[in-house]
Amino acid sequence: MANVSVPAGGAGWGERLVDALLSGRGVWPAVPSIVVLMVMAVIPFAILLSLGFSDIEVARGAIISQTFSLTHLTTALTDPLYWITFQRSLNLALTTTFFCLVFGYPVAYLFLVGGRWTKRIILILTIAPLLTSGIVRTYAWLVILGGRGVVNSTLLSIDLIDQPLRIMNTHWAVLIGMVQIHLPVMILPLIAVMSRHDTRLVEAAENLGASQLATLRTIIFPLSVPGIGTGAALVFTLSYTTFVVPQLLGGGNYLNAATMVYEQVVFSLDWSKGSVSSLILMVTCLIVLVIIALITNRLTRWTRGRDA
Amino acid sequence: MLDTAGPMIDSNDPAPVLSIGAVSKKFDSLTVLENCSLDVAEGEIVTLLGPSGCGKTTLLRCIAGFWDADSGGIRIDGRDMGAVPVNRRPVGVVFQSYALFPHMTVVQNVGYALRMLRMPRSAVAERVSTALETVSLTGLEDRYPSQLSGGQQQRVAIARVLVMEPRVLLLDEPFNALDAKLRGSMQVELRQLIKKLGLTSIFVTHDQEEALTMSDRIAVMRAGRIEQAAPPEEIFDRPATAYVADFIGMSNFFSGEAQAGAVLLPDGQSQSTELQGPVKVMIRPHNIRLVDAQDQDWRGTIAFHRPVGPLIEYHVDVAGDQIKVLSMRQQQSQIYADGACVGLQVIDPASCSIYPGAH
Repeated sequence: MANVSVPAGGAGWGERLVDALLSGRGVWPAVPSIVVLMVMAVIPFAILLSLGFSDIEVARGAIISQTFSLTHLTTALTDPLYWITFQRSLNLALTTTFFCLVFGYPVAYLFLVGGRWTKRIILILTIAPLLTSGIVRTYAWLVILGGRGVVNSTLLSIDLIDQPLRIMNTHWAVLIGMVQIHLPVMILPLIAVMSRHDTRLVEAAENLGASQLATLRTIIFPLSVPGIGTGAALVFTLSYTTFVVPQLLGGGNYLNAATMVYEQVVFSLDWSKGSVSSLILMVTCLIVLVIIALITNRLTRWTRGRDA
Repeated sequence: MLDTAGPMIDSNDPAPVLSIGAVSKKFDSLTVLENCSLDVAEGEIVTLLGPSGCGKTTLLRCIAGFWDADSGGIRIDGRDMGAVPVNRRPVGVVFQSYALFPHMTVVQNVGYALRMLRMPRSAVAERVSTALETVSLTGLEDRYPSQLSGGQQQRVAIARVLVMEPRVLLLDEPFNALDAKLRGSMQVELRQLIKKLGLTSIFVTHDQEEALTMSDRIAVMRAGRIEQAAPPEEIFDRPATAYVADFIGMSNFFSGEAQAGAVLLPDGQSQSTELQGPVKVMIRPHNIRLVDAQDQDWRGTIAFHRPVGPLIEYHVDVAGDQIKVLSMRQQQSQIYADGACVGLQVIDPASCSIYPGAH
């Protein structure tokens, strides 16, 4: 057993259990969540994987035989549709990440240099969208971007265009929705990392002759790299595997990796194909995450303390 | 007359390098600085000393340009700094806990100011290595700040401002981040370094020991005002106000009455004064001698005693008041035990300070 400090006498077993979980060293405090993860994520995923790597015979709704096979994987990897779909997903996710960074960084910077009220307003505006579901926010874009939506009626009324632009159900609608929905996930880690640093660093830079732009370039930006890494990893993962936004704003015929898995499982009822697609989705996602982590690590060598 | 371009060592009144003229500053309705004036001569180290909240850091930040004064002006070499932005002032700041750039090595930190001036690489390297030699930091060039000890970090912070050859060096409690043992030796070392380089400096602290060690002059601050600015000995021996007397060193205060140009001290001796009416008399503990009780009317019992290095500190209970007395251990014929009945005598009445004050 772990080193458990038992309170002196009188405590009930419940209190002792809580105490053991809280004071236990190593893995004990994590046990409940490990159990949940095993039951809810790892085991189902293992079952799904086993479907992707076997030939299955089904009779009267029950699996009667299951033999190991790589055919699903090889079919997928030689199918140009897969390549096109995954490339599109990758492009979309990388573009989204890029724009989230471009739009999010100035907001985080404003948070850093702004006064008390600026900070509050930014926090409220960043967090408030997270309080509504992604589906609701996506539907809001239907209203804004639609043929008779806010954007088109404004442009029409000022005679900038003659007829409504077709924004909905295009790549652009998906990208706009993705950037807006994932923006907070970029801004929050940036703010967390940037406001962790001593404001005197900025004063020191100014005192040593740096202009505001030079301070941003030489001090604030390099120190925010860990935040950029975290934000980029989160936004990439979420937008690479997103399902709701392309499904709603892409008009049902915008196929990305997640919508492909959905169609294979729900409409084609081909669980093996869906399983293989999920696997490819997960592995490629991990590869990009590792690349992001490597780049971030390379740029933040200074954080690795005392190993001169 | 001396050549104005040359050193003005013999001049009676050399132009001050830094001149603070009637600076006031308010935050909302709170007055943080009130009419502060101070001139600092070439190569002089002046300490702003006071408790937290007395405005010493605010004054430092106004000199550096981080904050603007509401009224009054700051001049360096006669040039008004009012319109000069932070990054153009000839001022170097050593921050509390140093504010070293954590993502830069020692060399990169020290060379920062020169890179901002777009100085060629070779010149930067040369001046950085000179600065590192000056603060004896060679061999640690490629370390990051997190890999340095507190003392080393302080040297990097000093080298980082030295390279830009500031006219005025500002030090904001630079010893706070060091452990007590290191502090004493670093203080002496830093003073010698600044003196060797001839840097005009303002040093902010709340620690009087530090102030007495580091300064040519001490400016004692209280609630946004400078109470007294004078050399350390003068501050200690002839404090201008009761507040300064109380803040610096140990002190005993007595109420008295000034009549016909003199005040009667508690032991019956008298000290001349220009004041009239109720006064406060301050007598330093080392200006009181313990004598046999039967020889004195001013007497009490020892409430507490302890050795302080070569001295011995007594607290003598006289009619409910505790009076502090410091004596050399060797010169005292005997060491009085707690509870002993003793007489007290002022050694030098002329060294007692007298301030106006109500009872």
